[in-house]
Formats: sequence, structure tokens, C-alpha cells
Amino acid sequence: MAMVNRPQFLPWLPPIGRKTLFALAVAFICFAFAFPVLWLILTSLRPESGVYYVHRGTEFTLASFAEVLSDERIVAAFLNSALISTLATVFSLLVTVSSGYMLSRFTGPASRLWFGTIYVFRCVPYISWVLPLYFVTQSWGLYDTYTGLLLPHIAVHICFFSWLMKGFFDGIDPSMEYAAMIDGCTRWGAFIRVAVPSALPAISALAVLCWLFTWNEFLFALILTGNRVPVITVVMAQFVTEMGLRWNLMAATAVMALLPAFLIALFGQKYVIRGLRI
Amino acid sequence: MRPAARFAAGFPKTGNRFDSGEAMAAISLSKLNKHYGSLFHAVKDVDLEIADKEFVALVGPSGCGKSTTLRMIAGLEDITSGDIRIGNKVVNHLPPRDRDVAMVFQNYALYQHMSVYDNLAFGLRNKKTPEAEIRTAIDRAAGMLGLHDLLQRKPKQLSGGQQQRVALGRCIVRNPQVFLFDEPLSNLDAKLRAQMRIEIKRLHAEIPTTSVFVTHDQVEAMTLGDRVVIMRDGRIQQIGTPLQVYGKPANKFVAGFIGAPAMNFIDVNVRSAAGVTSVEAEGLRLTIGPADAAALAIHSGRRVIMGMRPEHLSLGAGAPGLGFDAHVEVVEQLGSEILLETRVGNASITAARVPAETAIARGDQVRLSAQAGRLHFFDPETELPIS
Repeated sequence: MAMVNRPQFLPWLPPIGRKTLFALAVAFICFAFAFPVLWLILTSLRPESGVYYVHRGTEFTLASFAEVLSDERIVAAFLNSALISTLATVFSLLVTVSSGYMLSRFTGPASRLWFGTIYVFRCVPYISWVLPLYFVTQSWGLYDTYTGLLLPHIAVHICFFSWLMKGFFDGIDPSMEYAAMIDGCTRWGAFIRVAVPSALPAISALAVLCWLFTWNEFLFALILTGNRVPVITVVMAQFVTEMGLRWNLMAATAVMALLPAFLIALFGQKYVIRGLRI
Repeated sequence: MRPAARFAAGFPKTGNRFDSGEAMAAISLSKLNKHYGSLFHAVKDVDLEIADKEFVALVGPSGCGKSTTLRMIAGLEDITSGDIRIGNKVVNHLPPRDRDVAMVFQNYALYQHMSVYDNLAFGLRNKKTPEAEIRTAIDRAAGMLGLHDLLQRKPKQLSGGQQQRVALGRCIVRNPQVFLFDEPLSNLDAKLRAQMRIEIKRLHAEIPTTSVFVTHDQVEAMTLGDRVVIMRDGRIQQIGTPLQVYGKPANKFVAGFIGAPAMNFIDVNVRSAAGVTSVEAEGLRLTIGPADAAALAIHSGRRVIMGMRPEHLSLGAGAPGLGFDAHVEVVEQLGSEILLETRVGNASITAARVPAETAIARGDQVRLSAQAGRLHFFDPETELPIS
């Protein structure tokens, strides 16, 4: 980044000192963010007796991972979380992309009503959705089912991410779609064949965000599911029992839960950055 | 075969345009209106007849409704009232895809995710034209516009001029009834703009197609249009050939808008005595020739607005009764000529066509003379010409 014409930090320091200080600051920030994760990984590799002395001892084992993986409930929770995240992403994108497009391109009463609706829902604190949702899923017989968890997630995605999508489409020049309409497309055809392909980086970015949101989500999962649909964030918390805390198992599960999110973020970051720049 | 016919023969037939010999693509706008909400009346009672194969330039300052009019012809804007006919068909409520028009946009509007080839093929593929025919059509268009080397590239890899050429190509491969141009040259630099202007003119000569060209640049309008339509505040001010709108402007606005540098306007008083009509302003007294004198005599003793084009003023004494002294304030050396910004009384007057080699400097006193019969007079209230 250009450092020209910018008031310098600690001007009395020699350049080398400034650089060192800068490097130290960066290292400290990285460490501060990475430390909990490193500690988590370390804990997951320690035997149960060593979890309170993570920083001491040289005994390492994969036993916690083996124990966690042999638990059917945890494996099921992983699969459930992956399935629900993927489905929620797919279904919400179907709505979010077209809803963002509508908010960006149309100014009629329908668009304004929709805008108002999601605005109101966005203003409601996230946590206050939970109790009403619990009653609704109970009375509709959706409590502790895939649908009962999927629908609220899709709704949240639509309310939160339609805005982002609107912003992306605002950045795409509409004359491309006009050209397509003159070239023989319907309005819908122009959207599908021209606007959506142009927004693909943004849509990929949104897909990553949606997926991670649901994968990491805890509150809805805790309240809206019971034993039939275990999901990973809830199962992880269940290592806190009356018999005590199973830190090593919880850490092993958490490390495994980090992995898909980590991989998706790693491979998706290119799209996220490109998408958010549109 | 004429080049145009040869070219057209290479394109798939998109309708019965070439089968029936009659003029098919005349455009007719009658009592066309566009309101945005209740407050903004963008286009007011526009009546315009565009003949088949005619090139009409719509020109006016920004916000004058010219682009809106074009977008209504394209079908991208609904019309509030009035009729639009293309050929013999009223197209008021037809969607853009059914109007058989092609449009070039200011920002090119190329499909960014497609190669140049696919951009050119898009419209024909929508019509389910066989790929072989598409290839032939693209091949010819690419040859005309020099796009052969660019066909596999993405629009982002092209320069502005190349992108605009692709946009032109996209229009001509479809062989539509009407070409619509929405300020297609505004995003190009001056040199490229002049080149593309010639290119468009050449294209129209080779593929004569009814064209409507919207621009805010009067030079583009004058050089390209068979006829020029000048608009202001949603209303048509004048329709005419470039020579007509330049020589006989319909009102003061048109007179000031057309021509560069812009026409000088000076408030003058008309004096008519002993059969001689003259106009006077501070530091200026011109004797009016018999052509204008009759009309001006009626306004004797009143104030009118006199218009003088900078290019019709020359340095030197000139004809008797048409000269006046001017104080030079700015000298603009263009190499080919000098533009003088001068002061005469309270008025500032621009003079063009002063030979480039003339020794002249700021502060000099010069004698300028007008050309008989090249003066314009406007009523100060109606701004209509006095003739």
C-alpha cells in the first residue's frame, strides 16, 4: 500500500524500527486470533488427563478423535449439519438472488412492500425470533425435523442476504439486460441469461456466507431441535454434562467442525473477495 | 451487386423485410408523452416521422427527453400516451424483443461473461438461427468492423473503441428493421469519437437501415443525421436537415445550441428612419440589408435579440454599415484559426475564422464586420425568429 503523503506513525523512529514495530503488531494480532484455535487443536490432541495442563507434558494422542468418531450421534450430527447447511444455501439462494434483483431493478409497490417486510424482520433482534419459532414449529408438528430447522434458516438468509444481493445487482449495469431484452430475451430471460451469470462471483460469495452461517448457527439449532435431528453445534455443547466437562472430546469435535468451514472459506475466499468487490 | 445488397445477402432473413419490396421500417411517433409520477413530464407531445432508411439524430441538452424517447421506441420504457409505429405496426405495447430493433448503448452493454463471438451470436441464437448461418453473419460483420482477431476475447479485454465496435457488430448481425443509438460515442476520447463517427456513417451507407441516434453533441448530430431533431424540456424545438437547423433556426434556443462556437446574442434596439433600418447597442450600430429590414421595421423602437454566428464575423472593415469596434479580451490560437473573445459595450462577442497568422493580442482594439444576410433576429419574449 502506498505510504506516500500519509502522516507517519512514530516519526522519530528510524524506518527499520517502524517496520519491526509494524511486524510485531501484525504478529500479535494474528496470534490473538489464532491462539484460541491453536489451543483448541492442542487440547484435542491431549489425553483426557492432560486437558488442564495443555501447555505442559508431551503426551499426544488421537484417542479423542477416535472416540468422537465412534459416536454415531456425532457422526449423524455432522451429516445433518452439512445437509441442512447445503439445503438452506440452495433454497435461500433461489429466493435471495431473485429477491435481490427485484429490490435492485424494480420500484413498484410490490418491491416496496417486500423491501419493507424484510426491513422490519431484519430490525427484530435475532434472539427474539426463537421463541415464536419454537411455538410455530411445535404447533405445525415441525419441531425437531429437518424442515423445522431449514425453514427458519432460509427465512433468515432471505432477510439478511437479499440486501447484500441487492447491492451486488446495483453494481451491475442494467443496460446489459436491456440489450438482452432487445436481443430477444424476456425480462426473466435477461435475468437468468445475463444478470445472473454476471453476478456469479457475488452469488458464490453469498453461497459461502450462507453455508457458513447455517453451519455455525447455534441458537435456532438448540431451541428447534431435540434428539431426532442432532446438529453439530448443539452436540458439541452437550459435552458439558452433570458429570463434568469432556474438554478433549469437545475440542476434537470442534476441530472437526472447523475443518469444512475452514476449507470452504479457504477455497471460497477468492469468490467472497471478488464478489464483495462487484 | 451493390455493397449493401451483398452485405445484406449474407444475413439471415429476420422478417419479410427483403421479401416485400415496400418501405417497411418507417418510424412514426404521434402525440407521444411520458410522465414519471405526477410531477415529471419527461416527453411532451412528440410528433416525429422518420422515413425508411433515414438517419435521424435526436439532440438536446441532458434531461431534454431524447433518451427517454429513444427508449420508448425500443420498448424499454412504457409510454404514457400517444402512438409509436414501426413499419405499419403500432408497437405501443410490444415488448422490445418483438419490435425488431437493435440498440447501441453508451456504455456498450456487452455481455461481460461471454466472448465477443457469443455476444454477436446472442440475438440470432435467441431466434434459433442455425449455427452455420450465424457464423456467416458474424464473419461478415467482423470483417466490416475489423473484429476478426477479437472474436474469442472477453469484453473486459477490449479497449473502449473495440467494445463499441462489438456493440455495433451485435446490432448489424441481427439485420434489424431499426438501429437505435443511445449516445454511443460519449464514453470515447475525442479522437476515437471522430473515427467511430465516420465508421457509423460508413456503416449506414453500406447497410441503409432506419436509424435514430441520440446525442448531446451537436457536432455528432449535424455530421451523422440526414435530419436533426432538437429537443428541449421534453419538446421538439425543430426538425430539419443540418443546413436548415443551422441556417434557419426555429428559435433562439436552437440558434444557440447548433453551431460551435455558439452564436453570439446581443440585445439591440431597432431604429427605422428614412427608409433605412438599423440596429443599435452600446458600441454597435449596424445597417440592416433589405432582406431583414422589412420584418424588422415593424419592431422599430423596440428591443430585439440579434444573433451573430462567430464564423460569420470577420476581421476588417467589411461592407459599409456592418462593421464595429471590439476590444479583444481573450485570444485562443487553434493553429488553423484564431478564436477571439471580445467586448463590445456590455456584450461579449466571440469571433472565429480569424486567420491563424494574424498578429493580435489581448487588449487590442479591432474592427469586426458582420456579413449581410447572415444576421438572425429573435423576439425577446417569444424567442421566435423575426422574419
